[in-house]
Amino acid sequence: MSAQLRALIAAHLSDRRRSVLAWGLPLGLMSAFIVAIFPSVEDSISKVVDKYPSGLKEAFGIGQLSNVEQYLHAEMLSLIVPLALGYLAVRAVASGLAGASESGRLDVLLSAPVSRRRICAAGFLATGIELAAVLAVSWALTMLGSVLSGAGLAAGPAAAGFAGVWPLGLLFAGLGIVVCGWTLRTTIVTGAVAGVLVSMYVVDLIGKLDPSLSGVRYASVFKYYGNAIEDGIEPLAFVGVTAVATLLAFAGSWLIDRRDISA
Amino acid sequence: MNPAPAIETEGLTKLYGPHRGIEDVTLALAAGEVFGFLGPNGAGKTTTIRTLLDLIHPSRGSARLFGLDSRRESVAIRARLGNLPGDFGYGRQSSGREALGLLAKLRGIDGFGRADALAERFRADLDRPLGELSRGNRQKVGLILATFHEPELLILDEPTSGLDPLMQQEFLRLIGEERERGCAVFISSHELDEVQRVCDRVGIVREGRLIAVERMVDLLGKARRNVTVRLADADGLESLRGLPGVVNLRIADGEATFTVAGEIDPVVKALASHHVLDLEAVHPSLEEVFLTYYTEEG
Repeated sequence: MSAQLRALIAAHLSDRRRSVLAWGLPLGLMSAFIVAIFPSVEDSISKVVDKYPSGLKEAFGIGQLSNVEQYLHAEMLSLIVPLALGYLAVRAVASGLAGASESGRLDVLLSAPVSRRRICAAGFLATGIELAAVLAVSWALTMLGSVLSGAGLAAGPAAAGFAGVWPLGLLFAGLGIVVCGWTLRTTIVTGAVAGVLVSMYVVDLIGKLDPSLSGVRYASVFKYYGNAIEDGIEPLAFVGVTAVATLLAFAGSWLIDRRDISA
Repeated sequence: MNPAPAIETEGLTKLYGPHRGIEDVTLALAAGEVFGFLGPNGAGKTTTIRTLLDLIHPSRGSARLFGLDSRRESVAIRARLGNLPGDFGYGRQSSGREALGLLAKLRGIDGFGRADALAERFRADLDRPLGELSRGNRQKVGLILATFHEPELLILDEPTSGLDPLMQQEFLRLIGEERERGCAVFISSHELDEVQRVCDRVGIVREGRLIAVERMVDLLGKARRNVTVRLADADGLESLRGLPGVVNLRIADGEATFTVAGEIDPVVKALASHHVLDLEAVHPSLEEVFLTYYTEEG
């Protein structure tokens, strides 16, 4: 890795150092709370869930709730954490590129002998590190909640569950860079990609609820998200989504290289 | 062999759809030269600078800096220049020192070069977040970021905006020192007085077109002078009538006031045969020259 790339990544992470705690703490504390209450709600929740229609359970990834891993997946890892991480990812790249353009920082950086593509690459890689750090903090707090409450959450599967969210978040970082290739307005980039994020979730949900529409799920990254806390990380999906995210980042940096950066 | 010009543009044009940016801007700036780029807001000064820096891409024409193509070789170009953007900003949370640290690394420089000496000279605070600084103090940080690495070319967009008069003087001294060092300086401004004091040549831009490029001495020489003269023998003032270049002559109470367009030599020679009690020739400000240009070209 070049010294320029290292310097840009370090600067990006320094600017966003607060976000690791700002996002990791609430997600981690919420997950810890979910894990901690599981022993006391285990019996009643299983009875309630047994009465749910099977299609609904499959759509929301609920399945059986006979152990704390299943409960954590249903309550946090199937919806809240992926949506939050996707949103965080686009916020991170939008602030690093569109926000930098709006504040004038991009002009200053581009006074130095550094290419736009390298700035994009740094933003993408730094966002990957930021996402990993947020997930690590969330996992650590969740495990702390489990230990304190005696919930018995297995560390390895829990780590796989949180790690499985990482490529999904990264995909929206890549998509954010693509949108920055069209506009360098933070609100538009964030809003557009957040819209895609929610739309993909809804498309996947529709595909799950109606088998005749299951084909639409291929248009959503959530089809490849799975349930890593129970099934382990699916290597092909993990690598495939990461590769698509990287390709999107490449395409976005190409677009940014060709566009004007207005004052 | 002469070094390539610091800046050389040929028919540089940037169009924003139906809107005008700049059109057919052709100019050259030699090493060690200070060039003023003058025009009112919206004339195309910033568009020209952003095109030189490859922040925006030209619709047609070309720009070469140090003989390198501004589009294809912009990274190599930027290694040799310093730039102060108009309305400098970097983000509210970062301090000047953090920005310097990043720029130094991007430039492959160990340490901060002459940044601390410049900060002391301009009384700039490099350690406070930029969001807590006044506009003028942010501008000082921007000047330091542009100059700390001793570039071969400085491109400065409205560099003194927000600076107090003392700091403006210090800035002009710095530009003089940069010229002595061999650095070429391209200054866009509508602060005509500062350009008058520091530039070797000026280009006047109007509605996206470069309407004139003149040496500063020629520009001022072409301009009219307002003259007031008092002679011991008031009748001698009549000798001024009909002299070439003398217009708007008024004689009253033993004093003549008039305007000289072009060379002042005939006037001096005509007065030399009289006992001159008082003589005042007011050099026009560049603002007057500038407005004259605008009026004539318009």
